[in-house]
Amino acid sequence: MQGNGVYLDYAATSPLDERVLQAMLPYLREPAGNPSSLHSFGASASEAIEEARGKVAAMIGASPEEVIFTSGGTESDNLGVLGLARSDPGKRHVVVSPVEHAAVRECIAGLERDGYEISRLTVDGYGMVDPGDVERALRPDTALVAVMWANNEVGTVEPVEEIARVCAERGVPLHVDAVQAAGRLPMDTGRVPLSTLALSSHKLYGPQGVGALYVREGVRLEPVVHGGGQERGLRSGTENVAGIVGFGEAARLAGLEREQRVRHERELRDLLIAGVSEIPGVHLRGHPEERLPNNVHLTVEGVESESLVLMLDALGYAIGRGSACASSGHKASPVLLAMGITEEEAFSAVRVTVGKDTSRDDVSGFVGAFREAVERLRELSPVRVR
Amino acid sequence: MPERYRPEVIEHLVHPQGVGEVNQPDGCGEAGDAACGDVARFTLRVEDSRLSEVCYKVYGCAACVAAGSALVGLVRGRHLLEAARVSRADVEEVLGGPLPEGKEHALTLVIDALHRAFEDYLDHRADVLLGGGYTDGSAGEEGTVVAAMSGGVDSAVTALLLKEAGYRVATVTFRLHDGEPGSRSCCSPDTVLFARETAHRMGLPHFTLNLKRLFERRVLSDFVGSYAAGRTPNPCVACNAHVKFHAAAFLADMLGFRHIATGHYARVAETPYGPALARPKDERKDQTYVLWPVPEKLLRRTVFPLGDYEKSEVRAIAADRELAVAHTPESQDICFIPDGDYRRFVRERVTSGPGEVVDRSGRVLGRHEGIVNFTVGQRRGLGVSTSTPLYVTEVRPECRQVVVGRKRDLLVWEILVGETNWFMDPSEADSVQVRYNGSQLPCRIKREGESWLVRLEEPTMAVAPGQSAVFYAGERVVGGGVILRRGRG
Repeated sequence: MQGNGVYLDYAATSPLDERVLQAMLPYLREPAGNPSSLHSFGASASEAIEEARGKVAAMIGASPEEVIFTSGGTESDNLGVLGLARSDPGKRHVVVSPVEHAAVRECIAGLERDGYEISRLTVDGYGMVDPGDVERALRPDTALVAVMWANNEVGTVEPVEEIARVCAERGVPLHVDAVQAAGRLPMDTGRVPLSTLALSSHKLYGPQGVGALYVREGVRLEPVVHGGGQERGLRSGTENVAGIVGFGEAARLAGLEREQRVRHERELRDLLIAGVSEIPGVHLRGHPEERLPNNVHLTVEGVESESLVLMLDALGYAIGRGSACASSGHKASPVLLAMGITEEEAFSAVRVTVGKDTSRDDVSGFVGAFREAVERLRELSPVRVR
Repeated sequence: MPERYRPEVIEHLVHPQGVGEVNQPDGCGEAGDAACGDVARFTLRVEDSRLSEVCYKVYGCAACVAAGSALVGLVRGRHLLEAARVSRADVEEVLGGPLPEGKEHALTLVIDALHRAFEDYLDHRADVLLGGGYTDGSAGEEGTVVAAMSGGVDSAVTALLLKEAGYRVATVTFRLHDGEPGSRSCCSPDTVLFARETAHRMGLPHFTLNLKRLFERRVLSDFVGSYAAGRTPNPCVACNAHVKFHAAAFLADMLGFRHIATGHYARVAETPYGPALARPKDERKDQTYVLWPVPEKLLRRTVFPLGDYEKSEVRAIAADRELAVAHTPESQDICFIPDGDYRRFVRERVTSGPGEVVDRSGRVLGRHEGIVNFTVGQRRGLGVSTSTPLYVTEVRPECRQVVVGRKRDLLVWEILVGETNWFMDPSEADSVQVRYNGSQLPCRIKREGESWLVRLEEPTMAVAPGQSAVFYAGERVVGGGVILRRGRG
């Protein structure tokens, strides 16, 4: 990747795997056919897409025809949430967790503006939803439930399997954002009766600009993007052939190497947590065990996150603020507030995420730099560390 | 996409200058709020009016850290007057140009913290101010002036005209009370911030003086007490003379400046008796009625640049010089009661028991809930129904009686005036004004002990004790005083 220093922001995006790049190159070099064309170029592109579809489906225990390619995680969430809601106009009630990514949160806000009634669930101090709450929130007119698989900010893994059972028993569709979880947590749509599942390629060493939505067979969905009827009419527009091929290869490798990657990430994650926990006033947020193997989310007393991120950048370490997407405006992350974290604490939140290419040296170097940056900013800060 | 920081910002973030706290500082100021995500704190030492030491601390985004560091570099070792001139644009220039969108608040935050440290420094020297001491300015350097700056168009143009006339100008804004909207600089507009921004855009140093205690003592308590005593006070009169002019003179003395200036529409005329207030060019904006208690010693050093302008000309000047204040609305109400409900304001501060509503002969016509609800001349809310309209003609606090009568009962021929302040010999007075924007009533005056009995040529309506009586000789203000009571009806 372009940039300097050690990259510890894998949850924002991950570097393209060399093997993925090799798989994509033929489709970037040669004039790629339009998969809809009848000639041999078109047929070749079409075959490549179908092969990738099979690989993505295999990663989540689905059949290929249940996978719809999109432009990324955000579009997949839009298609899942809006598509489910609009497929049954008689139902005007939605149940949603308070820790969803903006891609889901903003779709729900749009539905609310359109007159939908929204039941927002609560979470515990770790950001975890109680499946019992989901059950109690369901109504005969509930159009869908949206709960993410694992949180992009604090890394907490939600009890999706239980929630999916609750929803399935009551016949209510469930949309799950698995953008951060895919490739890291075992994922079998055969076991978990959810309706739609959003995936992204660039979080698992694939290219940016491509994602997918799993749509369970028999689930009705209203398209969001209209046009030439590609992707079973659910996502019109000429396919991003090279991107889809890359996503397919990335998904295949993720399935193949998942256990080994997770072992590596978890070891580094725990090393990192142990190191930074020695600094006074540094708190791990999110669930201590039920969390993504690569995620460390911290609040740091007396330190503001943007300063910390940029100071570490200057020291040679790239990490994320509490939430990459909320960081442009100076607003506390709604996810952290839902967990009962104060605004002041929320402004001090940073996210450190490791990946398959992170080394032990990277982590030990980071811990030292982190300590230095925190000390320097605390020396600067008029806010006392408790 | 969010715009990125310039390398200068990152350089200041990684190598900030002046981090820490001055030991036993002369001034300390803090702005922002950790719950809003930013706090800045400046401490300083002042020696021979120079900032010999300046330190800062910041909790906040990179822009705040960098802006604080840049500001330290701009003010360290500088004279107070130069430091107080350093603007947002100056800090931005050091940081290599405009900050990313949404980060501009960092400039306001650090400058506000520094200025609050100045304010604290001045506050420590305000014992003199509260004790009442000030000079006539004659020791101050010629061509220097402290201009009071409220954030409105009049005071902004005042400062501008003085600057253009070649004066060395320092501006000052007074923090009078907590009623100003939004005291948290990062979250809401604030009159002090706006005034400072206006001054800085003109390249002028700006100071803030905390006058809350002075205002409380000399204006608010009198305002509330007057109503409780059945009088109708004019808080702006008390505030001008005993708070604003006084404070401006204090700052001028401290800076070695000779003159003080405000944006009032009035003039200072030379008379055989010394300087006297005089009516301005724009008669409709005439503010001499609220300036009469300014002591001669202060008037001697006062400049009123707007006395020679029409309001429309002032607005035109503001527009021509592209001042942001050019189109601000006129302020009308009493500044510390933003909703204008001064009765409620008083009721919340004094207990005023119920009493009787009586006519002139003492016959009881009804009951009322408290005398603070009544003012001479008032027609509504009397709670008494009669065929002819009734008016409050007198409020008697000692027996909690409100006296009502017919309109002609309000007519007054004589007024007793006390607590006077004279610019000229009282015998020069040929007319009196008893209401703001009221007309000039021909009169003769006669001393009665400590007070003055004013005999009107024609009777006038509804003279309320507590209001000002201002005496004129043509355009000049002879003096003024407080109406103690009406005389013969």
